[in-house]
Parts: sequence; structure tokens; C-alpha cells
Amino acid sequence: MTAIRLENLVKRFGGFTALKTMDLSIGDGEFMALLGPSGCGKSTTMNMIAGMEEPSEGRILFGDRDMAGVAMGKRGVGFVFQNYAIFTHMTVRQNLDYGLRMARRSKAEIARRTAAIADLLQLGDLLDRPALGLSVNILQRVAIGRSAMMEPAIFLLDEPLSNVDAAFRAVMRTELKHIQREFRQTMVYVTHDQLEAMTMADRIAVMDHGVLQQVGTPLEVYNNPANVFVARFIGAPGMNLLPGVPVEGAEGLRIDLGALGRSVVLDAPLAAAARRAKGSVQFGFRPEQVELVSAGAGLGMTVGFVERIGARTIVHLERDGITAKAVFDNDTRVAVGDLVHLAPQPGALRLFDAESGAALRGI
Amino acid sequence: MTTAEIRKDMPTRPAAREADEGARLGLRLTLPAQLLVLFISVFPLLMQLYISLTDWSPLSGLGWPHAHEMWNGFANYVDVAGDGRLWSALGRTALVMAVCVPVEFLLGLALATLFADSFPGKRVFYSILIMPMMVVPAVAGYMFYMLFQSGGPVNDILSSLLGMPVTVAWLSDPMLAMLAVMVADIWQWTPLMFLILLAGLVGVPEDQMKAATLLGASPWQKFRTIVLPRMKTIIIIALAIRVIECFKIFDTLFIMTGGGPGVATETISVYIYKITTQDLIWGYVAAIALVILLVLSVACVWAMKRMARKGQPA
Amino acid sequence: MAEISFRNVTKRYGQTVAVDDASFTVADNEFFCLFGPPLSGKTTMLRLILGLERPDEGEILIDGRRVNEVSPARRNIAMVFQNLALFPHMTAEQNVRFPLVERGETEAVIAARLKDAAAKLHIGHVLHKMPGQLSGGERQRVAIARALVRDPVAFLMDDPISALDARLREETRVELKRIQREAGRTLIYVTHDQEEAMSVADRMAILEQGAIRQIGRPVEIYDHPASAYVARLLGAPAMNILPVGMVQGGGGVIRLEGLAPAGTAEIGVRPEDIRVGAHDGHGAAAKVWEVEPLGGTTVVTLDVGGRMLRALMRGQPDIRVETPVTLSVDLGRAHFFGAGGQALRRA
Repeated sequence: MTAIRLENLVKRFGGFTALKTMDLSIGDGEFMALLGPSGCGKSTTMNMIAGMEEPSEGRILFGDRDMAGVAMGKRGVGFVFQNYAIFTHMTVRQNLDYGLRMARRSKAEIARRTAAIADLLQLGDLLDRPALGLSVNILQRVAIGRSAMMEPAIFLLDEPLSNVDAAFRAVMRTELKHIQREFRQTMVYVTHDQLEAMTMADRIAVMDHGVLQQVGTPLEVYNNPANVFVARFIGAPGMNLLPGVPVEGAEGLRIDLGALGRSVVLDAPLAAAARRAKGSVQFGFRPEQVELVSAGAGLGMTVGFVERIGARTIVHLERDGITAKAVFDNDTRVAVGDLVHLAPQPGALRLFDAESGAALRGI
Repeated sequence: MTTAEIRKDMPTRPAAREADEGARLGLRLTLPAQLLVLFISVFPLLMQLYISLTDWSPLSGLGWPHAHEMWNGFANYVDVAGDGRLWSALGRTALVMAVCVPVEFLLGLALATLFADSFPGKRVFYSILIMPMMVVPAVAGYMFYMLFQSGGPVNDILSSLLGMPVTVAWLSDPMLAMLAVMVADIWQWTPLMFLILLAGLVGVPEDQMKAATLLGASPWQKFRTIVLPRMKTIIIIALAIRVIECFKIFDTLFIMTGGGPGVATETISVYIYKITTQDLIWGYVAAIALVILLVLSVACVWAMKRMARKGQPA
Repeated sequence: MAEISFRNVTKRYGQTVAVDDASFTVADNEFFCLFGPPLSGKTTMLRLILGLERPDEGEILIDGRRVNEVSPARRNIAMVFQNLALFPHMTAEQNVRFPLVERGETEAVIAARLKDAAAKLHIGHVLHKMPGQLSGGERQRVAIARALVRDPVAFLMDDPISALDARLREETRVELKRIQREAGRTLIYVTHDQEEAMSVADRMAILEQGAIRQIGRPVEIYDHPASAYVARLLGAPAMNILPVGMVQGGGGVIRLEGLAPAGTAEIGVRPEDIRVGAHDGHGAAAKVWEVEPLGGTTVVTLDVGGRMLRALMRGQPDIRVETPVTLSVDLGRAHFFGAGGQALRRA
């Protein structure tokens, strides 16, 4: 079981810089999610950890060992590809025991480990079926099992659930967590789905355009996003960000939100943060952390669209070109065209510098 | 006008008729090609069958449609069974196949593996490698004829390599002539194997190779467990093509040795050529041709069935 | 009105029944979703509507007329593909004009339809651009405009956004809903993502192995599922289905006095209807097995006498693994299922 350290990692492809100076520590036995949209550099980072790409600059350490020059097959990492890369000309069993067969382990040991993994991943009935033609869900389990058989210290998964249907994803998330707990491996998981990252990871590394935006536990990145990118990317839907200008008044500092009027008076820490801003700010609050209030007590907006999605209702709001969303439970009755008034819950407000996007933190 | 109307002119023909129309159009479009195939393949085959049951020769003074006047039933076929020279020729042909095809396959595979990755000068090397295939076989025959002369380049190179004068009379020695002919064939047709196998090699999914590497497989293990099984179909095709062509070996060989010295390099094609042009017993020739066709067809089908059963789909 | 109906349609492929006695009607201008797990027959139904397949039994009707024998080209149904298939070497405008030009329509008609479609889909300002210069959303609108000018009876889409990033999917499905409203046409939409289906559909059909299990508005199906199968499909985390023995007056772990109708084999409780509180002796005792903080909500997996239940709690409650808690169920919101999985009315 190994800790991973990425130091000043840079990766260039010709003139294009895919990863810009990444510094990240992943603890021994930790489940770390690399989260970000397509093209953010998360897969590139993972490929470098696996040894499939060489860094342009910087180093990768497993424990104390510098991995520079260590070949792909010698790093002792398990890797699950997005499209599984199952050996389709072999049976499920031959896929699972491939690594151990190549390592020439004893037949007894191979049989024992295969049985254990097949049991864990419910592949027992399928062991002697040809891998070709099996459903995507089964193939994904075989891919995970095949790597897990080698009991690697480090397990890398590259968007393994993106091809799997939505219902099965939930099942697989649970199974993956069980595997990680069972084997206590250091797991690095690449995904573009923030829900996956929030559900599974011990910590999340949020990335965008080759730059690491923030590293923290799921609740840390949710509650205290370091910048507007993280604020918008985490949460379903992401944080509402309304442009505004800090305005001093008799009772204290408020934010002028243009057509939406003025915000409530900010508490001391937030007011101090707002004063440090050089100009306008982004006034942020999460859709799940608002309440409906009477006219005059909140921000008035018109309901444009209502999504009733099972346990929650997502209300899309609009006022003079400014949009926002609110999430309520199903008892809330709003209709398209209604004028409603929102008040963010106490403690839900966040401020960001409008120019740099960085969070303005109270002291 | 309501925008969501379906076309009023929508006909309600039964589905079957529409499908039939499609089939009929297809028939009409492929008719020329079908006639061509009929003319080139089926008709000559039937003609040969007919003649093989006669003792016809162009010297007989009859036109071939009248060959039935010289009917002799299955006599030709009986003669085929007892024709010693024929069987020796077949034996020599089998020898050439048994040596050339495996060598071409292994060399082609080795080269294809080399070309799967990139290396400096790959494009140039690639063009050079394919050139032998482009040479007219007869020209290749003449080229090797000159190369293998007693005072020719092959002996010169051997002399300088061994440090002593080498004056082997390649084309005059029965065994060496055979060797020379094989060398010529290997030189000319390895590129074909190389190309086909390269296509198959490139078709192996890169992700699976990466996955195998990450699971700790060595290059040889990857080759054995992933590349070769996935190339099964292509390998069968390549071998089938080469075996069939090698059986028919003629141009290069004939120009190099004329089948000689004596009958030392007389393969089946050379033999047939000789009795066709020299002895002119075309009825007999037709019988030989048909026997060979039958044997080859059966062998091919058997071999392919066996391969298909053994292997999994690539 | 351009209704599309299936009447007892069955389609077989050899031994497999891909569509099993399916009947439904899609109203004019409706956003109708075909929803179900993979291989439940959704795509086959689309192909039947398009005319790429013929039913073995039953009838397909468009606008009241039987179309079983009508070729796809003549049914006037537009399919919008996942990859949009815009011609990359033509401008957006040329793309949109294309079907009408091919048909040989007059310039007057083409110009009128183009203007109408561009206005409806708000692409007037990008008509001169090439597809490569358009954003994903704009490309989608151009593809739909191109289908719209043919004046189709309906649009069909087969899982058009599953390949997109999660965040983009959430935004695009709202876009698609808006587009359907603006285009003013029926849209029949196939998906396997329950949240997506619930978000966009006016009505949806739940499929199981080719058969339709329930049709209705998403909220109706969510609140009143016709069977345990349907109940499990909608909602994430999925509904907890418990054997009736576990939830019983006296002796059972969770008390549910007198409300279970006769014949109840299973009881379904949605995660959001489970209240988790401090251990206080009221309600059922449970131990926290797992806590998944999602930010706005928290999914708590509870071990109730060996059985796992999932509860959905609002916000970020202070709950740790291994903590003993008490859970209670909002009894009025429990669902009852018989031995065959069918929903039962409350006693």
C-alpha cells in the first residue's frame, strides 16, 4: 500500500500544455477522485501515474521511490480503462487470471484468487463464458476484477462507469467502494461526474484546463469552494453566482445585485471579505440552501421552468437576464410564471472576486 | 394547411412488394457481372470437363466442339493416376510449398512486427520492402537467372564472405537449382505476407496491449496471448493465398531453369506447360487440370474448416 | 391532430420478443419518453415508429391511419441522431435548407420554412457559420431545424445526450425541453437515465423486456408506481423494498400497524421518506453503515437488523458511521406490493 506524490508535474504535447504544474499528495489507502470536465488534464495525470506517458517536467513518487524511467508493467498499478480493454478473444476466467498466469503463479493460487474475486464481483456463473458479447455491466466488473487479482498497491480507474447505464452506475459505485475498503488500496479515480466523486472519494482534486483548482474532502469543496469554477462544478445544480457590487450603507455592507435589488446586510466576516475585493463580486449561494420568503424579504425572480425529479424539485428562475436555480422538496408548489422571493439560508453566502474568480474568505 | 399532416399521397402497398422491388433492381444491376463470371469461370470449366473425357488434340483436325468423336471416357483419368512424371512434379511442387510458405510467413511476420512501431526511415524502408512484389515475375526469373550464374554476383558475394573462390553451378545442380528457385520465390513474395500480416497486426486494439502490459506481460507473452490469437483469421487468409499461389508457381521458375536441369525443378505447372505445348494432348491436360482443381478445393475447404473449429473469432 | 399510436404491437427476432403487446398513444405536441433498462425494447419501438421494422402483430397508427406498410421515407418522421450528422462542409443555413432542396421545393417555400425554423429555434444569428464554428447547443438546434423544415409529424431521439459530460447533460436536457416547446412538435425520446426522463417528459412509458408496465406523467408514476419494478426504476437512491415480515405490527423491526392491505408481500419506502434521528427508543433501532455526503443531501445507509436501508437526509447532518440511530418511516407514503410485484391499494 503506497502513498503517491506528484511534484511540479507538467505535461506538454507539442505546443499544447495539457497539465500545468500539478502538485498533489495522495495518502496511503486513500480514495482520491480527479474531477473535471473533458480536457482538464485528469486522464493525462492518470496516464503519467500509470507510466503510459512520461512527464515533461516534475516527478512522480510512489512512497519514496521516484518513478522516472520505471516502465509501465513494473509499477505495480492496476488500471481500469474507460472502455475496459477486455481481451475479447478469451473467456472471463482467462481475463481474470491473465496477470497471474503471465507471472507464472501456481495453479492452486490462481484458482483460489480467481474464486475469491469472482465471488466478490458476482462473476461466478460467468467464468467460462467467452468475454465477447457480454453486456457492458459484466465487462466492467471483469475489468475491475482483472486488475484487482494482482492486488496492486495502487488502483487507477479512468472513468470506468461512463459507458455503464445510469441505474447500474449506482450499484457499481457501491461495489467499487467495497473493493477499495476490502483491499485498502490507494485508489485514483478519474471522472467528470461530480456525483460520483462526492459519493466515493475521500478527497477530490478538482481540475480545469490543466490546472488544479482545489483539493479537499467532498464537503470541503462543496461548502468552501476555492473559486467560481469549483463552486459551479460541484453540486447538482452548481452554485448560483450573481454579479454584484459591494455597497456600504448605514446598517452595514450590502451587495447591489442590479435588477434583483440589494442583498441582506452581510455579517462581519463576509463584509470584511467583500471590502477586500477590488471591484465587483460574484454573490454565491447554493440552490439547496434557499428558502421562499414573502415579497420584500428576498430576491424576486420569475419561475421559468420546473423540473420534478423524484425526491427534489429544481426551479429555474430568471429576472432581467439573470438566471438562478433553487432546489426544494416535493411539497413545494411553484408554477411556471410565478414570481417568487428567495432568501439564502444564513451561512450559505459565499463571495468571489469577479475578476479572478477566487473565493473571498472572511478571516 | 395543418403542419402536422402526413402526406396525402401516401400509398399503402403491402410491405412484401416493396422488398421484392429492391431485390429485382439488385438482380438487374448485377446481371452484367454475373454474366462475366459465368463466361470466365463456369463455361471454361464445363468445356474442360467435356474435353477431358476425350482424346482430343488440336492436331486431330477437328474443332473442339467435335471432340466427342474422339471419346474415350475416363481413360485420361486412369492415365493421370499412373503418370509417374506427374506425381514427381507434384512432389516437387509440394516441396517448394513446404519450404517457401513457412519461410515467407515467418519473415513476413517478423518484418510486420518491426513495422508495427515507428522508427527513423520507416517510410523509405517500407517502399524498398514492397518493391520485389512489383517486379514482373518473368523479369524476376531472368534477374535471378543472371544472379545465380557460375560467374555471377551470388558466387562473387559468397567468395568475398568465405574468403575463398566459390564457383558453384547453381542452376546446373539438381538440388541447388531447387534452392535457387525457392530463394527467388521467397524474395518476391515475402512482401505480400508482410503487408497482409501488418494489416492484421495493426488491427489489434492498442488498449488491450496496454492492459496486458500493465498486468505484467512481457513482449513475447503479449505476442503469444493477444496478438497471435487476434490475427488468426488474417493468418489463415495469408497462408491460404500463398499456398494456392505457390502451388501454381511458374513464371519465375520457368525462366530461371526451364524446369531443369532435366526435370529437377519441374513443378506441376511446368509439366502441364510442357505437355500442352510440346505434346499437345489437350484432352489429357484437361483431365490433369480438373484433378488438381478437385484436390486443391477439397484441401482448402478441409483446412479452413479445421482452422475455424480450432480458433476463436479474431 | 398528429397522434402516434401503438395498438397491441408485437415484434419478434427469432425466439426473442423485443416488443410485447405494446399499446400507447402519444398526443400531439407531447414530449414522450420511452424509458427502461438496456434491452427493454426502447430502440426497437423507435425503429417500428420510423418504419425500419414492421410489426409482427398489431397496428401502428399515425394521425389515425394505419402505417404498418408505409415505408420510412413516406411516414414523415424525423430522427435526430446522437452525433447530429450535420454536413461539415456546408453552412448552418445550407444544412437547414438541404432536405427541401433535395425534395425540389420552390425557393419561396424554402425561404419561408427556413425563416420559421430559425425563428423558432433562435439560430438566425448563426446561420452563416459552419458547424465546426458552432457550440454544442447551437449545433443541436441546427440539427433540429434541419429536421423541422421537413414539416415532420414528430421527432425521434435515441439517447442523444448520454455521451456528454454529466454537467452538460443537465444543461442540455433543459435546452431540449425548451426546443421541443418552441418547435411545437411531438418528440419521442428514448433514455435509460431516470432523472433525465423525469425532467423532460410530459408523459413517459416504463418498459420491461418489451412490455409496457406503466404510462403516465413522471410525477404520477413516481408517486404511484404500478409495481415494485417500476418503483425501483425511478428515484435515486432507489426505493427500499422490504419483505413484509420486516415491517409488521409486533415482532417486526419497523412498525406499520394495520396499514398493510391483505396480500402484501413487500413494502416499499423511498429514501426521502425515512426519518433518521438520535437513538431514543421510538421507532426502529439501526446502525449507520455508511454516510455519503452529497453536499445538498446526505445518503445514509443503515443496518436494520441485518438488512440494509438507504435514507436521504437534507443538508449535512452530523452523522457518523457506527452510530446507533432511530429510524421511522413516513407511513402514509409507504407503498405496498403483492406477491407478483403489483402495487396494492392501502387498506
